[in-house]
Amino acid sequence: MIKVTINGKEIELEQPETILKAARKAGIKIPTLCHHDWLKMYGGCRLCLVEIEKMPRLQPACSFLVSDGMVVTTESEQISAVRRGVLEFILINHPLDCPFCDKAGECELQDAVYIYGPSSGRFKEQKIKHPENNTDPLLARNMERCIACTRCVRMCEDVQGAYAIAMTNRGDRTLMEPFSGNRFDCEYCGNCLTVCPVGSILSRPSKSSYRPWQMDANIATVCSYCGVGCLLNLQVRDESIKKVIPVEDAALRSSFERFGPGVAEKNTEKNLYENSVENRKSLNRGLLCALGRFGHEYVDSRERLTSPMVRKNGKLVETSWDEALDFVALKLNEIKNSSGGSALAGIASPRCTNEDNYIFQKFMRGVLGTNNIDSTARLGFAGAQAYLENLMGQGITANPISDLEDADVIFVVGGDPTIATPVLGLNIRAAAAKGAKIITLGRAAGLGRSKPKEITANLFTENKVLERLLALLFSKKEMTGELPAFEEKLKAAAAAPPAEKTTEVTGVTEAEMAEISEIVASAESFAVVIGSDIVQRAAGHCGLFCLAGISYLASGRIFLLSDRPNEQGLIDMGCLPDRLPGGQSLAIDGFRKKYEEISGLTAPPDKGLTLFPMLKAISEGEIKGLYVMGENPALNLPNWPAGDTRKSKIKSLELLVVQDIFPTETSAMADVVLPALSWAEREGTYTNLEHRIQVLRRAVKNMTYGRDDWRIIAEISSRMGTAMKFSSPADIMAEIVRVSPVHRDLRYPDIEKGTMLCRPYKGQPSKSQAGGVVHGEGFKDLIKTCDRPGGSLDDKKSMHRDFVLLLERSLFYSGVTSRKTPALSRIRPDAAVLRMHPEDAAPGLVEGGRVRVSSPSSEETLELETVFDSSVPRGAVKIPEYLEDLGVGALSLITNLPVDPVTKAPAFEECRVTVEAV
Amino acid sequence: MNKTLLANIDDPRSADLDFYEQNGGYESLRKALPMDPGVIIENVKNANLRGRGGAGFPTGMKWTFASGDPKFPKYLVCNADEGEPGTFKDRPILEKNPHILIEGMAISAHALKSDYGYIYLRGEYPDARVILEQAIDQAYEKKYLGDNVMGSGKKFHLSVHVGAGAYICGEETALIESLEGKKGQPRLKPPFPVSVGAWGLPTIVNNVETLSNLPLLIRIGPEQYAAIGSPECPGPKLYSVSGHVERPGVLELPMGTSLKEIIYEHCGGIKGGKTLKAVIPGGISTPVLPHDKIDCPMDFVNMPKHGSMLGSGAVIVMDESVCMVKVCLRAIKFFEHESCGKCTPCKDGTGWLRRILARIEQGEGHKDDIDLLVSIAGNIAGKTFCPLGDGTASVVQNFVKHFRAEFESHITGRGCPF
Repeated sequence: MIKVTINGKEIELEQPETILKAARKAGIKIPTLCHHDWLKMYGGCRLCLVEIEKMPRLQPACSFLVSDGMVVTTESEQISAVRRGVLEFILINHPLDCPFCDKAGECELQDAVYIYGPSSGRFKEQKIKHPENNTDPLLARNMERCIACTRCVRMCEDVQGAYAIAMTNRGDRTLMEPFSGNRFDCEYCGNCLTVCPVGSILSRPSKSSYRPWQMDANIATVCSYCGVGCLLNLQVRDESIKKVIPVEDAALRSSFERFGPGVAEKNTEKNLYENSVENRKSLNRGLLCALGRFGHEYVDSRERLTSPMVRKNGKLVETSWDEALDFVALKLNEIKNSSGGSALAGIASPRCTNEDNYIFQKFMRGVLGTNNIDSTARLGFAGAQAYLENLMGQGITANPISDLEDADVIFVVGGDPTIATPVLGLNIRAAAAKGAKIITLGRAAGLGRSKPKEITANLFTENKVLERLLALLFSKKEMTGELPAFEEKLKAAAAAPPAEKTTEVTGVTEAEMAEISEIVASAESFAVVIGSDIVQRAAGHCGLFCLAGISYLASGRIFLLSDRPNEQGLIDMGCLPDRLPGGQSLAIDGFRKKYEEISGLTAPPDKGLTLFPMLKAISEGEIKGLYVMGENPALNLPNWPAGDTRKSKIKSLELLVVQDIFPTETSAMADVVLPALSWAEREGTYTNLEHRIQVLRRAVKNMTYGRDDWRIIAEISSRMGTAMKFSSPADIMAEIVRVSPVHRDLRYPDIEKGTMLCRPYKGQPSKSQAGGVVHGEGFKDLIKTCDRPGGSLDDKKSMHRDFVLLLERSLFYSGVTSRKTPALSRIRPDAAVLRMHPEDAAPGLVEGGRVRVSSPSSEETLELETVFDSSVPRGAVKIPEYLEDLGVGALSLITNLPVDPVTKAPAFEECRVTVEAV
Repeated sequence: MNKTLLANIDDPRSADLDFYEQNGGYESLRKALPMDPGVIIENVKNANLRGRGGAGFPTGMKWTFASGDPKFPKYLVCNADEGEPGTFKDRPILEKNPHILIEGMAISAHALKSDYGYIYLRGEYPDARVILEQAIDQAYEKKYLGDNVMGSGKKFHLSVHVGAGAYICGEETALIESLEGKKGQPRLKPPFPVSVGAWGLPTIVNNVETLSNLPLLIRIGPEQYAAIGSPECPGPKLYSVSGHVERPGVLELPMGTSLKEIIYEHCGGIKGGKTLKAVIPGGISTPVLPHDKIDCPMDFVNMPKHGSMLGSGAVIVMDESVCMVKVCLRAIKFFEHESCGKCTPCKDGTGWLRRILARIEQGEGHKDDIDLLVSIAGNIAGKTFCPLGDGTASVVQNFVKHFRAEFESHITGRGCPF
């Protein structure tokens, strides 16, 4: 026990802390500038100097540790003079341009000077000038205002791990610069903006547009981009989002940055502060990524759909809501009556809320009489999760993201988490910074600074590597008996082929495999992070089997990456052809009966089609009506049935209804287009990849004639004779919690309180659920398919004469809404290029030369510029996933991908293209 | 007194290993290697050796802290970043007598159980770099360095790291940052480098001259060593004398030789028979002494009693023709240029001081400026992250204290009277 006395107040501490923290505990405020709770200690600004008895020099409270018996004074004549002096020094070169500085009103220097500063200045010399630098499209640098606190640099290096900026020069010429000296060319997380205490780093999209006190509202909500579900604060004025800041930042500012000297914190504000720290630990810790921070302009886009449209004489024309809805109801009834429910299908949306998706599947099942319900989650997440849950128990992927930071070994497979889920990626970087070992299999350039142990396997031989690792690990670890059926299968799988063969196929040496298996075996806290690349294989489930086994043997936690905000939610809501809400199998009569009883509708008993068979059925004319909610499959999916041209109607479809906020490639083909509401205009809940359920709040008024997705569907439903009487998302949730066992007893107020609402929502995070596992139906079949987990890859050594197409994901670009956000478009690096290994180049093809990319199965071709890049595997070419300049997605080339027999995810290794010089 | 640190440096072969060996070189290392490391540290303590870099910290105490730390490896770093204006005492060792430093470091490494050493050399000593690297190569050849030093089983590897010209890198934590490849800026203390230094491991940073004292200390033993010069801080001391004396240069004298004796006996008095005006006794950051206050023993204990400090022993002598405002301005210009930018008072305060001083020197001073200077200096002193700011403040405070009239005449006379 350490006893210290601060301003006459005795404080007892369990362990040594800084004077600043000790003083805060006693409710004593010490002013700071360079200090920030999230960052490493610095001690540079000298504003927090305090007197310590028996010490000749003043010491910085932010970085000086208390010791037993220490007597500290934080307020005295001497200290007041020091604070005046320090602030006077800062102000001599700081331009006194508060009247037009964006930061005025929330500037920590302004606040500090207001309380502690000198009332007049004695400086009569020339100030040092640095012209504002606006060369970067998103971030403005005003280095005259910089007080060299280095908070931005410490954030960038120690927290974000991007190392994009540094303090350059010395003395009073010190300033922050990105390494290019001009553009930042960084990850554009903007977390430097969060920590800058003054107006030195500014967001250009919101610069000079408003002052903090002119905001109409600050709305705390959930981000609409990836499956992490970061908490955001939307700063709104005139029904427009002006700026996005992390929730914790807002809480910190309002709670403890604004006190007078020595004033005890009020209880409410103190709670707010502590609560905010709790949040920070639990989810995005006050951090955001480029998409979350800068990706909101689409809400205000003029391209938004403003009115319903119906195709008349081959052209989409604006109509009234009544006309459009009547038309949809009529056509759906027609198809249902003539061809039955199985001729109808629906694509749900991982961007829509739980409530939207619940209503969607209820409508498809109960009103249209079809289980043909799926979504883009079929590209990986849905099938992977179902498979893993079948093997290891429901909720096996429901692990808190923050746990990653405490792992000591993290195995990252099948994608770059710093791109798919940027803030989750930061947890991995943080773990590495604390000494965790990172192992990567597959592309993960964003973890390059975390010194990963990279397994470089031949293209598409990851499953073989995993199979060998599983066998090696099996020989090192005892099984616990927790999941006997799974263990039986592990035993069978561990009889792997001899090492030489694996090495021959994969190019990974046995020594390397042994080293990696040893690292995994010796892990105390192990985590497996699974990206979609490993799932999108003809035998993707076999790789998943091995990963499940590796995780099981090493007592790990599984994190399944999701790059959409509500993929988990739409699964939980039953937007699947074989599952009802709450993951209940459609095949079990008891579940269906209960579902029918509560929802008051009848669900067809037979499994529906998954996404790709559904697309095939459309091509073949078996499905006549398709309802698409909040999704753009013509751009986002391979195997999309072709019309005459890319933008024409698909002949085999009698009805295509598209509900969206923008005109899209899909809506261009539609018979009816219905405008919906954007993320910022509606209410509801999202469920993130760790199964945390969070509330989405309405931030701005809708300026179009758009309606809530669930309302549109409910309207159509009543026009078809089945009334859906819901008045709000809370109403819908009340039915969900009765239908879905995993949502049992949940209420909106619980969710709104919302720090740790993970599944099961009234209890602990559910890794332990694996203990009481009930295997899903078809478990035996699943295992059978994996008797040889390496699958048929033995035969896949030889590469086709053509190239394999690899899609490049961008950190600044995710498909739909990001396309309509100018801020993100401006930082998007060069778009329409094809990267290939220089030794793969055909004769005559030079770097920078143009190539035509075509696919045997499609009439589409792309013309792109070539970039030689020796990091691209031989036999493969890389193209960005979205080619905005050309207005197409690279996937539009691909029309004949097979799917994994178990997860039904597409086999991307079959993306074959021909590359010819133009 | 016989010279040891600068022994034989007038001989052109002085940097050569053979020559050094012929004159008894590396005998102390031979003597030290069989000794228990703890005994050597005791000897250093008993000899009362104090660090020659400027602060005068007891070397034995620093070594005791470092050897008490259980972490290994430990790094031994020689601070050869001699950057303070007026200071050039280490240069003759580095360029003319490098083996005494290497021998001293090898002895120290044995005492500290350190296997790796660095010489952090100031970037502006390119010749010294070549000479040191040649000397190190020779020492490796003759097994004074390497995996098995003189067959004793002791491992010690040594290399030269060249700085990039920042004065602040003479401060040991900034030196370590720079050694690690980062921008040279001081670190928070505690933890001190003796427990958390280069790459997070215990690191002992000693000055060139300090380490070069080890061969003598081992050769003659702590009792005899302690008998040289001032009893409180004994040993030979290098004084680098510059300015208006007849014979400027580096002198090796017993610690505690009086400043007056140094100027008038060893350096032949004031150049051209002019009269003395002021002396900066220990490098530019030590307080200036007016001509009538120079009868003081030049050591760590006595100089503070006479209103200044020994510092690095860099004596700058100024005769009657020198403008004190200009000297002050020149010094502050240096500190402004060298301020690393880490802490506010030094970062912004030095530039402010310089701008005011420049105005006064140009005849545009205001009568309130002198008090303003003192007030600004007061706001810097004791508030900065590292001692660089204290040095800046003390220069202004002492020049104004001793030569206020000159400042005033610049202001009233609207220009420099010199």
